[in-house]
Amino acid sequence: MNEQDDRTLVRRCREGDRAAFGELVVRYQKPVYNAALRLLHQPEDARDVAQTTFLKVYEHLDDYDPKFKFYSWIYRIAINESLNALSARKPFAEVSGEEADEAPGPEQRVAGEQLNQAIEEELMRIKPELRAVLVLRHFMHLSYQDMGEILQVPEKTVKSRLHTARLLLRDGLLHHGAL
Amino acid sequence: MIDPRQFALIHGEIDGELDNEQRAELARGLLADPEIRAVRDQLQRVSKAMEAFEEVEPPADLHASILAALPQRAPLRRRPSVAPPWVAPAWRYAALIAGVCVAGALLYQTVSGPGPAATDIAGTIAPAGAPMILDTASLANGPVSGHFSLYRDRAGLGLELEVRANGPVDVRIAGDGHTLEVNGLKSADQPGTAPTKVALPGFRGGETVELTFLMQGEEVGTATLRVPAGH
Repeated sequence: MNEQDDRTLVRRCREGDRAAFGELVVRYQKPVYNAALRLLHQPEDARDVAQTTFLKVYEHLDDYDPKFKFYSWIYRIAINESLNALSARKPFAEVSGEEADEAPGPEQRVAGEQLNQAIEEELMRIKPELRAVLVLRHFMHLSYQDMGEILQVPEKTVKSRLHTARLLLRDGLLHHGAL
Repeated sequence: MIDPRQFALIHGEIDGELDNEQRAELARGLLADPEIRAVRDQLQRVSKAMEAFEEVEPPADLHASILAALPQRAPLRRRPSVAPPWVAPAWRYAALIAGVCVAGALLYQTVSGPGPAATDIAGTIAPAGAPMILDTASLANGPVSGHFSLYRDRAGLGLELEVRANGPVDVRIAGDGHTLEVNGLKSADQPGTAPTKVALPGFRGGETVELTFLMQGEEVGTATLRVPAGH
């Protein structure tokens, strides 16, 4: 994404140009939707979060500080909305132990596709704050610095969470015979 | 048991963060210890698998539905180009008169109004500014132990942490969409170490506050506190 173009679009939005906001939606709907989907694991919830994120961006565009990257700001809103959606969920909406028992055994989980499926399941067992760093790093390919800006924590904390999250994910995959 | 340093090097390699010296250090560890090789292989496999996930296309009508929802929402907030009504002289006088009336009523109530004698209320209220403890938790029998209190004082919600450990402890404090981290807490056993107080701006009543304790980046304990509803 071109940061300069983002700033131009934001300026035009602030001047009341709705077409410019439509252009920002085109640019960011895919990463925002995907981040929400990886965190929530449910397409309908991800869609709701993406929609709420853009509406909040629109409402609070005057609060955006151009000294920060626009995408950091919009991803921060998306991550916070996703975490809010997760905390509002009833416990049974999470991956349950029953589903885990129905998962394929070790002998069936050899191919990459099965590893991917196992990763998606195990991600949902990890605390949302830790899942968020995995999503930002491995699915959105962001730097420590960007992740720190989005999560509003120091880079050191980002690294610490990332290390913990990776090990938890690995442990879960090992435990369920997927690795 | 793998040294935390080796774990850090493996993660650093995955993230492309190692310099030549660190790469050589990791290489020596890999040669010497098959467990390190196994962990590195597992973490690399997991990381590469995640990197290879394909992006999903958002719903085809998402763009249209976002734009369609905009008119129903509050319009963009514009900075006022003219003075707001309360700046006009007539409104300023009205506000002044109302303010004087309210102040007068309060003064009358304070000086002459009915109320219990001072002796009736003595001892029933905390001293001004004294924190009210809302919840407490303790940890024992682990690398980290200690006592943790959630309180409210004039400044808002806060947390008091008294930890005991053999080294510096990082604490991650997470609530409903809020996360804070306090790094390098010293053990309360050390002379001159007072409990650490942390303000919790943005935390609300009815929330769970989760504490995660880390040493050298590794999670070594957790505790949960609750902000009672109405606080």
